[in-house]
Amino acid sequence: MTGISDPELQPVASPEVRFRSGVITAEPGLARRARWIPVTRPKRREQLAGLLTIAPALFLILALTLYPVAYSIWLSLLEKHSFFPQERFVGLENYFYLWKDSEFWTSLWLGTVYSIWTIFFQVVLGVAAALILNEIFVGRGLVRGIVLFPYMIPTIVAVILWKWLLNDTYGVVNYWLFAFGIVRDPISWLGADHIMLSLIVMSIWQFFPFVLLSILARLQTIPPELYEAAKVDGASALRRFIHITLPQIRGILFVVILLRSIWMFTKFDTVWLMGEGAGAGRFIRTLPVYAYMRTLTYYQAGLGAALAVIMFAILVVCTVIYFRLFREEADIG
Amino acid sequence: MNRWRLRRLSTRSLLYMGAIFLALQAAFPFLWMVSTSFKPPVEVFAQPPSFIPHDPTWENFWRLFTATNFLTYFRNSLIVSGLAVLLTMVVSAAGAYSLTRYQYLGREKMAGLILCTYMFAPIMVVIPFFILVKKAGIENTHFALVLAFTSFCLPFTLWLMRAFFKTIPVQLEEAALVDGAGRIRAVIYVVLPLALPGIIATSIFTFILAWNDYIFTRILITSDELKTLPVGVQDLFHSALIDWGLIMAAGMMITIPALLFFVTIQRYLIRGWGAGAVKG
Repeated sequence: MTGISDPELQPVASPEVRFRSGVITAEPGLARRARWIPVTRPKRREQLAGLLTIAPALFLILALTLYPVAYSIWLSLLEKHSFFPQERFVGLENYFYLWKDSEFWTSLWLGTVYSIWTIFFQVVLGVAAALILNEIFVGRGLVRGIVLFPYMIPTIVAVILWKWLLNDTYGVVNYWLFAFGIVRDPISWLGADHIMLSLIVMSIWQFFPFVLLSILARLQTIPPELYEAAKVDGASALRRFIHITLPQIRGILFVVILLRSIWMFTKFDTVWLMGEGAGAGRFIRTLPVYAYMRTLTYYQAGLGAALAVIMFAILVVCTVIYFRLFREEADIG
Repeated sequence: MNRWRLRRLSTRSLLYMGAIFLALQAAFPFLWMVSTSFKPPVEVFAQPPSFIPHDPTWENFWRLFTATNFLTYFRNSLIVSGLAVLLTMVVSAAGAYSLTRYQYLGREKMAGLILCTYMFAPIMVVIPFFILVKKAGIENTHFALVLAFTSFCLPFTLWLMRAFFKTIPVQLEEAALVDGAGRIRAVIYVVLPLALPGIIATSIFTFILAWNDYIFTRILITSDELKTLPVGVQDLFHSALIDWGLIMAAGMMITIPALLFFVTIQRYLIRGWGAGAVKG
């Protein structure tokens, strides 16, 4: 009877003891750990109950996520108005159209620029901030809490906050730049020349807490003895970072960069709300925004779906390359 | 000795400078929003800007509640987020129970497949979703919105709940069964109370996700009286002259519930975060 509740060594008389729904096995002669192995062929009733309880979740995911994604591949082969039921099969015509569409290439380029800069600075700032917040100082708990605010608020709030801060006539940023004599004339931060910069800064502000918290959670698990030993040996802070911290956070860094890349490359709401695709917004019309506009501004659902499929294909290819490049880290992470 | 102390002092002050910078960069925009929302219209546009309103007023909030549909949006947001949490919790608790307590073929494959769908970004799902919802004739309903949020949250809530259920020993349930309780009673009286921290954490994640969502609502909802807060507030922008005091008051009113929930989950946060629960 003790075999289940006590996982420690148990001398078991017979090699196999039947016990209700499980089987206790022990290799004969060897007093090895008694293992409780689930019955290999589950009872039919149990199987049915298991499938029934998972069914709602499975149904929702299949019907509302996997099916739409599969359907978008089909949709990308159609010429279809977003609101009217008529549709016409056109084969790969949508893709050929996009191949020659300069706006598509621009949006791909803008999306890449946006992703690379935001990911780079999120990671650098996130790691630096995690290192700071991992030290002991007065008010650490409070700062840890405050720092996460930007990640927790709705995107619409982040966008109106920044639009107000960066407002060209009444914004506090321009006021300060002017007051400290850095600029003579107010800078139009949301105009064509600077809107990409503003968007990148705002996105870094909004999303680097994710990197910060993931890294911080990992830093807390590094045994302090490692650092003490290095200190005794006289290693400088930089060397301690390179030789102790970095190898330890490599695995989580791999995952964080992967997730952030996927999410930044497909980021829609922040980018859209910042520029809404028109006016200066044309200069931040990234791939997700372009896909949305094709569907809901030009009502070309087929083209919109084709763009979504292309986006997905790019992501899959990049993810595979990423895993190949960092095979070692992938194993840790 | 003296040099060592000096160096230590300078690293300490660098550390504090870093910490203060981190706190300020996160907090300042919010403080500025609070300040603006209490300013009368004249002071909002004053140059140089004042950081503490000279003449604080509730006027912006008053106008927000009476002159706009803000309260309708607020109610819609509560309804939709609440229903999404309810549905997500029921479905994912059942699913997680199945994944941890029953044996059947393909169980682990199924768990893997569900996790994979976590990688689909909203923009990839929402375009075909929109067309399908139109075909099903449920566009412009809260029902479609709740379904969208639920399916979007499910992969990670299932995953998280599964992790929580795994930590509850099966023996406790078996003891209840031996004592003559049925399976359902055992789940309600033994498993769910123990899984409560997990259920709370997961439901708050779902709530924040639904509360903050913009894209699904923008695409699925067209009539004004069904809009949720993020979309409703974005539309306040579209008036000819942007009323910043009003907008900032609205921003504050959306942020407060999200922040309240955020403060309550803080202690669960690191654990959930480790499991990769927050998407965005």
